[in-house]
Amino acid sequence: MTTASGGTVVAPDAGSGASNGPGPDLAQPRRSRRLGWRRLTPYLYLLPAVLLLIVWTYLPLARTFDLSFYDWNLIPTSPREAVGLDNYATVLGLPEMQQAVLNTVVYILAAMLFSIVLPLLIALLARRAKGRTKTLYEALIFVPYLVTPVATSAVWRWLFAEDSGLLPQAAQIAGLDIGNVFRNPDTALWAIVIVVGWQMLGFGVLVVSAGIAGISPDYAQAASIDGAGSWRILRTITLPLLSPTIVFLGLMTVLLSAQWAYPAIDILTQGGPNGASNNIYHLLYQFGFQNFDAGLSAAAGVLFFLVFSAVAWLFTELSDRLSFYDN
Amino acid sequence: MAFAPALPASAPSVSAGTRARPVARGMLGTVLSHLVLAVVAIASIFPVYWMFATALRRPQDALGQGLFPWPISFENFGYVWQTIPIGRMLASTFGMATILTVAQLLVAILASYAFSRWSFVGKKVLSMLFIGSWLVPFQVTMIPNYLLVAQLGLLGTVGGVVVPNLCSAFAVLLLRQHMQAFPRELLDASEMDGRNSWSALWTVVVPNLRPALAALGIMLFISAWNEYLWPSLVLQGSPDALVQMGIRSFLGSEGNDWGAVMAASTMACIPIFVIYIFLQRYVVDAFVRSGLK
Repeated sequence: MTTASGGTVVAPDAGSGASNGPGPDLAQPRRSRRLGWRRLTPYLYLLPAVLLLIVWTYLPLARTFDLSFYDWNLIPTSPREAVGLDNYATVLGLPEMQQAVLNTVVYILAAMLFSIVLPLLIALLARRAKGRTKTLYEALIFVPYLVTPVATSAVWRWLFAEDSGLLPQAAQIAGLDIGNVFRNPDTALWAIVIVVGWQMLGFGVLVVSAGIAGISPDYAQAASIDGAGSWRILRTITLPLLSPTIVFLGLMTVLLSAQWAYPAIDILTQGGPNGASNNIYHLLYQFGFQNFDAGLSAAAGVLFFLVFSAVAWLFTELSDRLSFYDN
Repeated sequence: MAFAPALPASAPSVSAGTRARPVARGMLGTVLSHLVLAVVAIASIFPVYWMFATALRRPQDALGQGLFPWPISFENFGYVWQTIPIGRMLASTFGMATILTVAQLLVAILASYAFSRWSFVGKKVLSMLFIGSWLVPFQVTMIPNYLLVAQLGLLGTVGGVVVPNLCSAFAVLLLRQHMQAFPRELLDASEMDGRNSWSALWTVVVPNLRPALAALGIMLFISAWNEYLWPSLVLQGSPDALVQMGIRSFLGSEGNDWGAVMAASTMACIPIFVIYIFLQRYVVDAFVRSGLK
């Protein structure tokens, strides 16, 4: 790929700087071949990444779409049966599906508490702590984010273990008998929320702190000289300037919180009891790899993909309209 | 692009609004803030501490609730070491995460270089391809990917875990931002020196992006190490292949031997903790800029 060689012919061209203008009329045959190479260069650099994306993301997406119209049990030798839209009708009518969707909405809303509300509070409070203390707090709060998902689940299973675990014992002292939280349909979902929220909090704090650090202190200073109180400064300056950060975290939470909850659900409750703690991704897994119903899993997957794309689009619109940029 | 707002990493944070208040009230607020922060920090770190504490008790003290494990014993670790091939699991997980990190960095360097250096037909469409892949959850494509990995004969191997993840769209987008900020004059100068784009990339661009690449690399390594769903599908039949799977099956078979389970979990976390302790600045910087996973 020797495009810009030391040849004298190329020198004036390189000086003009625009390697993207075609300008073939004046070029001699040899040079136009070089220019052709030149035009190919960016595509060659992009080739590995684009190829990988197509093979492992977009073709599979198309195949999932295709699979959603068939009844098939994932065994290569067994025939696929075309069933039209049946899988979609089935999946929308399934009570497991309805519950998982409802649970996912609950998970997302609860996750907002840990990824936006608490991080905002903590980061605003942390402004008062200075230097090393602040760094220490933030460093400690971030640690759970790095704990391997399997270890996270193991630790919380131990903390919540019936009889011998620390939390049931502490509850007993307070006169509560919480039993096995992961096997109780009333508590399983909330226990998962605590586990995942514990893990996500530090990430939210980090992002919000960075957002706050990016706000110039001049605004607040000017406002306070004008007699604005700290509450007023928070409401009219800090929060509006933080809104891009908040919208960003909101989008992350909607798109990824079902993802974050997956390992904990899979290890601690398997979505149970009776689907009480299931979410949509774990349901997709169960459709595909426990019931071996590829069509059903694919149909549900296509629906989720469409819904999440719509939500993401809404959020980008929202961030364009609501965000106040600091320039 | 809503996905990656520019977040300046570490400007000095000035506590706004406190100076106009009477001193006593400011003091009270500060004390209260420290109290809340301390409680949150302890709640965050305690489960991790408890994992270490339980792992370090003697097996007969496993159910003890004393805050400090005493006498300290490494018997649980010895038991894990003898019962499951945890050394090998850690080594292969380390290998998997390293290969994945290097490959993802390489692919991302090439792609982001193309995006930041040239304008070309289809640039917009191609960059939408990368952004759009965020909207495709892994669970939606897992069945076709599983079938493809099976066809390639990679089921049950670490290779099957690595191959579908070789391109990280996030890494491409992040590096693209860094490269766009790269001074154009340096590139022009290297072109006048007679360097072609390939050698300019490796001799001019990459050496200057070292801090960004280090931060990104650390983050990709941590993500690869903590990957759960895909390995659990590909390695269903071979629980000894990676540490995540090994501990999951250990959790199933030794369910209530909490000392041993916590010792195994501790070992699975230690490499990441070591990275965090020694390279904290990079880790934090990378995650702040990310928002991935």
